[in-house]
Amino acid sequence: MKKRNETVLVAVIAVILGLLAGAVMMLILKKNPLSAYYNLLQGSGLAPKGKYAGGKSMFSDFSSYIDFLTPMLFAALAVAVALKAGLFNIGISGQMLTGAFLATVLVGYGNLPAVLAKPLVILIAAAGGGVVGIIIGFLKSRFNISEVVSSIMLNYIASYIISFFINTRYVDPVSRQSKEIGQASRLTLHQVLVGGFRYDFALGFILAIIAILIVRFIFDRTVLGYELKAVGANREAARYAGIRVNRSILLSMGLSGLLGGLAGATYFLGYTASIQPKVLPSTGFDAIAVCLVGGSSPVGIFFASFFLEIIEKGSTYMSSQAGLEAEIASVIMGLILLTSACSSFILAKVSRRRVEGRGSK
Amino acid sequence: MIQTIIINGMSFSLPLFIMAIGGIYSERSGVTNLALEGLQGFGAFVGALAGYIAGMHFGADSRVPQAVALLFAILGGMAYSLLHALLCIHFRADMVISGVVVNILAMALTTFLTKSINRTVFGAASNKIDLGVLPRITVPGLSKIPVIGAFFTNVYPFEAVIIVIAVFVWYLLYRTSFGLHLRAAGDNPAALDAAGVDVSRIRYLAVMMSGALSGLAGICFAYSISAKFSGDIYVGYGYLSIAALIFGGWKIMPTLGACMIFGFARSAGYQIVQKLGLPSSYSDLVMILPYVLTLLLLVFLAKNSQAPKALGEAYDKSKR
Amino acid sequence: MEDHIIEMRNITKRFPGIVALDGVTVQIRKGEIYAILGENGAGKSTLMSILFGMVEPDEGEIYIRGRKERISSPNYATELNIGMVHQHFKLVSNYTVTENIILGREPKHRLLGVFPAVDMKKAEAEVAELSRRYGLEVDPKAVISGVNVSARQRVEILKMLYREAEILIFDEPTAVLTPQEIEALLEIIRMLRDGGKTIILITHKLEEIRQVADRCAILRRGRLIGVREVASTDAEEMANLMVGREVSFHTEKKKAEFGKTVLQVKGLTVLNEDKFPVVKGVSFAIRSGEIFAIAGVSGNGQVEIAHAIAGLMKESEGDILLNGESLLSKDVRERIEAGIAYIPEDRQEMGLILDFKLKDDLALKKYYRHPFAERKILKHKTFEEYGSKLIDRYDIRCANSTETLVRAMSGGNQQKAIVGREIEQDASLTIFVQPTRGLDIGAIERIHAQIVEERDRGRAVLLISLELDEIMDLADTIAVIYNGEIGKIAPAEEFTTQEVGAYMMGIGKGQEGGKHEKAQ
Repeated sequence: MKKRNETVLVAVIAVILGLLAGAVMMLILKKNPLSAYYNLLQGSGLAPKGKYAGGKSMFSDFSSYIDFLTPMLFAALAVAVALKAGLFNIGISGQMLTGAFLATVLVGYGNLPAVLAKPLVILIAAAGGGVVGIIIGFLKSRFNISEVVSSIMLNYIASYIISFFINTRYVDPVSRQSKEIGQASRLTLHQVLVGGFRYDFALGFILAIIAILIVRFIFDRTVLGYELKAVGANREAARYAGIRVNRSILLSMGLSGLLGGLAGATYFLGYTASIQPKVLPSTGFDAIAVCLVGGSSPVGIFFASFFLEIIEKGSTYMSSQAGLEAEIASVIMGLILLTSACSSFILAKVSRRRVEGRGSK
Repeated sequence: MIQTIIINGMSFSLPLFIMAIGGIYSERSGVTNLALEGLQGFGAFVGALAGYIAGMHFGADSRVPQAVALLFAILGGMAYSLLHALLCIHFRADMVISGVVVNILAMALTTFLTKSINRTVFGAASNKIDLGVLPRITVPGLSKIPVIGAFFTNVYPFEAVIIVIAVFVWYLLYRTSFGLHLRAAGDNPAALDAAGVDVSRIRYLAVMMSGALSGLAGICFAYSISAKFSGDIYVGYGYLSIAALIFGGWKIMPTLGACMIFGFARSAGYQIVQKLGLPSSYSDLVMILPYVLTLLLLVFLAKNSQAPKALGEAYDKSKR
Repeated sequence: MEDHIIEMRNITKRFPGIVALDGVTVQIRKGEIYAILGENGAGKSTLMSILFGMVEPDEGEIYIRGRKERISSPNYATELNIGMVHQHFKLVSNYTVTENIILGREPKHRLLGVFPAVDMKKAEAEVAELSRRYGLEVDPKAVISGVNVSARQRVEILKMLYREAEILIFDEPTAVLTPQEIEALLEIIRMLRDGGKTIILITHKLEEIRQVADRCAILRRGRLIGVREVASTDAEEMANLMVGREVSFHTEKKKAEFGKTVLQVKGLTVLNEDKFPVVKGVSFAIRSGEIFAIAGVSGNGQVEIAHAIAGLMKESEGDILLNGESLLSKDVRERIEAGIAYIPEDRQEMGLILDFKLKDDLALKKYYRHPFAERKILKHKTFEEYGSKLIDRYDIRCANSTETLVRAMSGGNQQKAIVGREIEQDASLTIFVQPTRGLDIGAIERIHAQIVEERDRGRAVLLISLELDEIMDLADTIAVIYNGEIGKIAPAEEFTTQEVGAYMMGIGKGQEGGKHEKAQ
């Protein structure tokens, strides 16, 4: 199991390099990176803040962090499922929006009881995201259109169409976002009072853990997983082995889109309760970093998102404490993404060297 | 109405076109370039910043800040493209992933830097850099010709710059030794290597060219669409130009045609919304036109695409 | 001391885990044809890569025209008037002959008196002149992708001559040519020598050496075994030196016993991606216990026939029957299950998934069914046991047993894995395409024996190969394909090598000047 150790090592190196580069930027801006990074932990409820507002504690911050983390787990899994089959799904943002918008409109504004509304929200969002994924897969398998280009196009199409409908029909005149959904449909039990403190309970988190286990099972133990991996590693060989490649592409993109839809549900009907028009959620793009750092393995993704989302979640608190723009979080994520894109090269180099060492007779 | 469609269409098509040529340079040399989006954004940011600073030193009527903005956008795009080149050529990262990474980082960096610089240097909390309105030129005489005259009416000066540069890079790609080497690098890098030409050097130059041309396109979009630099620059035009060059079969002239289709469809859409007197939120629906068109074009074209043979393959000298 | 144009002294080159060259010394005289003979992996290509500046030696010295040189790049080699025709041609497919020849050394002029540009007119004239002077017929304006292999080779030779090369290295130049084209090439080589050039010929074919070479150096496993004057040495001795033991040139096989017809191909037409027919109305039948070989120059439609039978390419016309049942409506998997085993030409691109573990690759065609999977759930234990069984049975050498990453295995062992996996299919038809390409003699002998075993087990064997020797050695029946059409089908003993060669170029026996003048 040397390979797994290498992957972990490379991921850690990538993250450290990214954080170092971020620290250099902070130093240039004459800020103390150590305290800024500590602010990130505080903002995510992993370290105590100096003082708390009424009804808040470190644990309530942490519960809110888990709530924030949940969509990322789905989104990064979505990237991984496509990547295993050799496809690069950067349309997660669009799939999140589509699934969430449909669920919002069809269920969120209705008055179904919670026991019906919550499962329905999940199903509709999953189906909505899945359909977008299948469209991308169809364009790829039928017309050989790069999934990268088509998913970007669909991102914008989804974003503008949804923005059109929000602005014409569902807009909240004060917030300029879509009207807030009913609590019955919301996947987060928001600001629940327990023992004097308020907590956010992310129901989706449990679902995310289950999803991680299911994806892991699919890839390790099933015929479907074997086929998707074969298609991802060598499409020609997969065809030669009798695997229906086009079907596999459709399936993996559908599954990926479905997970994207769930990310959307837990984000727009969980963490937030409304949709901002014309904005593609950054979760869909950060998920690529999380997936790469996590070595696109389900368990790796769990740890990678747990650590990386601290940066995003804590950035608001850091911004208020250290006087740094919250956007530096995205810059640091971008840098981590950059280093992890390179470190896959380092990993390849390490293993290639070993191959050459014993490969040639 | 036709006149407005042509005028607005061209001011959108030409930047798209020059960016697509950048893409052609990169991809004909064998480097897949999805980074155009980020390159144009970063170039526009550098150009806008330089133009803004220059604007503080020159009078309101001066054209110097605008020239400075164009020049620095080209330099900024070129410098930033080195990142993509480094990842693809030196680190042999997956070129598709590298392109996307470069885009995400560009978006994050420029929004962060815009805010930081506005606050710390200019002392104002703002997420944009104002560029000022670019004057338009009408060519006397030519603009009087019916229909065709529209191509010479109310044009931005950058449109002329783009055409001159486009002619030059056409000549560079198809008539010079450098062009011959560049196109060979995307078909059979080993052949070029055997002929004693450094493949990596050619590919670096090609990617830098794509950065320069994208930077130019970015600043033109910043001027013509919103007269400012902000995060709004990232609305996927880089990907549109990629679709255009795929549609154009990685050749310069057919790519111009594709870009014009995008430009005219977009401006015609806006005109129709206006003529029908629809509320402004309907422009959101017009905005999807280029994207839908891209997908449709690709549906009809992607199957028999004539992509360069060695596109997306890192060249490994040791394997020759 | 003799006048040597090239001296390479005590050259040693190590790659990770292997000594490619171990203190090799060669001395080459001006104006001779010097052959370097050795098996795959003997180090002959490495030695020449060093001379051409593509690889730097770890130890040793090189003298060119008596001067010590450090050849650090192909550019410097070119400056020293050394040229090389690589085994895999280095040509830009969408460029013209002229553009390819001048690449890197373009004649220039100025457009409008200002802008520097490539002077294509002048270049074309120069190429035409060179082509005339050396009798190497090419069309300067033809695009490479539209000309045949031997024309491409002439372009490669012209490329060297355009660069004024005096020392010409040919790396396995005949591997892709028909016997007639080989004759023509050897004639060109002789002529170049007579014109004062020094020629180095890398090959593993003894016949060519006997025909043209003056002297021959024999390499084995990175060591120089000896240098022989060709005129005073017989082929047997050279072969034994090359392999290090007695070699049998022929595979032992008993007389074939044909059974019922297994495969029937009727009027098969296959279109490529551009809707252009690459296989045109081909018909043949293979019986059980028969090795049916298709001979032909690369790219004449033979691979497409194999793909069509396996279901990887669509038949546009005709029918394919296996054991009397049409395969047309069946997809790839259904055909595998109907009884087709297929060893494809490209073992790394198609035959294997290099990033899989060996046990997963060995199960590539069975993974989804009992006992490898039950109700869509994989049984890892079966993969493990099956993998170990095949590793033993087919002598697959691998570092971590069933857990070995296939990418980490040598080419020969990768091929053993594919052959083993396909034989275990227990199919009624086994297709072998280029089964021995790039393998050393030991591995070749083994695979030849396996092909014969398949036949003797009563299976039908379709053998597609570019190696004419292999076909003449193994086949019971030979079909020759040219330009997508089968020229002649007959029992192997009715063919001579020359006759097969003629059909491979589209010229039937005794009908020269017939329908197809030249292979294009």
